[in-house]
Amino acid sequence: MRWGMVVDLSKCVRCYACLAACRIEHFLPMGINWPRLVALETGGDSPTVSTYSVRCNQCKDAPCVEVCPTGATTRREDGVVTVDQDKCVGCRYCVVACPYQNRTFLSKDKDQGFFPGRVVTDFEKAGKKLYKHQIGTTEKCNFCAERIDAGLAKGLKPGIDREATPACVNTCPARALTFGDLDDPNSEVSRLIREKKGFQLHPEYNTDPSVYFIDGKIGQSDEPKVDDKADKEPEAIGVGE
Amino acid sequence: MEAHQWMIHYTRQTEWIDRRGIFLWIAFYAGGLGGGLYLVSLYFNSLWGMLISWLIIAVIKGGTHLVYLGKPLRFWRIITRPQTSWLARGFIFVMLFVFFGAIQMALTYWLPGSTAEIVFKVMAGIMAFSVALYTGIILKNIKGVPFWNSTLLPVLFIFCGLLGGFGLAVVIALNGGDINLAAAETGSRWLLLANVLLIGIYLWQASAKENTSKQSVLEQLRGHSAPIFWIGIVLLGIVIPLGIALAGLIMNHMSSIVLVTGVACEIIGGLALRYVVLKAGAYKPLVAKPQ
Ligand code: SF4
Ligand code: SF4
Repeated sequence: MRWGMVVDLSKCVRCYACLAACRIEHFLPMGINWPRLVALETGGDSPTVSTYSVRCNQCKDAPCVEVCPTGATTRREDGVVTVDQDKCVGCRYCVVACPYQNRTFLSKDKDQGFFPGRVVTDFEKAGKKLYKHQIGTTEKCNFCAERIDAGLAKGLKPGIDREATPACVNTCPARALTFGDLDDPNSEVSRLIREKKGFQLHPEYNTDPSVYFIDGKIGQSDEPKVDDKADKEPEAIGVGE
Repeated sequence: MEAHQWMIHYTRQTEWIDRRGIFLWIAFYAGGLGGGLYLVSLYFNSLWGMLISWLIIAVIKGGTHLVYLGKPLRFWRIITRPQTSWLARGFIFVMLFVFFGAIQMALTYWLPGSTAEIVFKVMAGIMAFSVALYTGIILKNIKGVPFWNSTLLPVLFIFCGLLGGFGLAVVIALNGGDINLAAAETGSRWLLLANVLLIGIYLWQASAKENTSKQSVLEQLRGHSAPIFWIGIVLLGIVIPLGIALAGLIMNHMSSIVLVTGVACEIIGGLALRYVVLKAGAYKPLVAKPQ
């Protein structure tokens, strides 16, 4: 069994519901997002905007697992890569090693509350009890492992039964996200990947991500990319700020 | 940067250089400098050099790296897992160096020439070399940052550490320490030339490798890191020490002030090198831009 996700790029309507659902599900501090939306313009004179809903790829050969010196980051048997915040020492090696930049170090300034210095909402108070986020450690998407585990314990099927399915997948109003077992050739995710030529981000890193994308015109492995043009003079890096 | 451009361009790593990442930068440099100085001190059999290198690694390297951790009190989790990663091994190298080095210095002071002293010198020497080396391996192993992903990087860090070590050996010699000044100066000159060569090859191969590492090189040569590259590495780290070395060769004598200035410039150059290497490390765009 290996849990995976398929993101249909042609269906995403850029509503950010997946980000909101994740924030509510995991009581995420204001300064961090586990899933993120990457939007980009394509098409020169008549540009259209394409959107990628991205999150930790739960890589099969995860660089973050390889470098973690404490054993805090591990890959479960079902393929989900998790961080045990009680073991994490906050060295950030995993943050730097993730080639997809899907990890966040939770520093104090990222967890100042929704209304810093004014009021702590009931939602935040509940979060402190139900889903602890430890400042000084690292976080990332875990495919809602707690929902998967609780659902499986009840005999439910992740990807089919809502109670056992990741919050972002349940919430997506455009049905752009599909979840299921990549090892099962009859699962919906396997069918979509097979029939719609699903592709992974940066396969050249040999990380074998469990998140696939379909129906996108950009980034498909058989399309030429700017990066492939050896003669293009790159600009200096925009230093990210 | 516009919101819609986020992560469709080259993105530089920030965690290991910005804000508290400064501690990691200092830790990485101190590891190289301390390790290099210890090896140079072994060559000169200088107890002063050994003591200073021990302090650099135990206090500056160990201290700043611990301070950098989000949960420093859990550091024991790192040192009990050498099988996991080079970061864990690095912490162990530091601890073993501190342990072996302390015993070795005591033996050198009270039982010089004894077999035990030689054994501990060898063991502390291996650990010092490993401390200077491992930070380069840590960066080299990160395949998402192509600029770092080169076997030359650990070599460059070792040579940079040795250069700093010879520089500090000159200062110890000038202060009447147990080091031959002329030999330290000669070593310093050769190491400087080797470093210039290595930096040149490193940048050349990084820019020839692929576009993201070429971006990193451009970032140093004409991007935001350019002032640190040109002033810190080229002017202070190379041109001034080379000028002083050449003048020393021609005039056969150099005043202490000038020599110490040269060493200070070399150390600033080494710090600047680590800084720009960390600062310019960049990831490929998450999704490729359309043509
Ligand atoms: S996407 Fe990054 S954080 Fe997620 S498993 Fe892969 S390497 Fe680890
Ligand atoms: S920050 Fe935590 S999870 Fe990441 S490598 Fe370090 S100890 Fe492991």
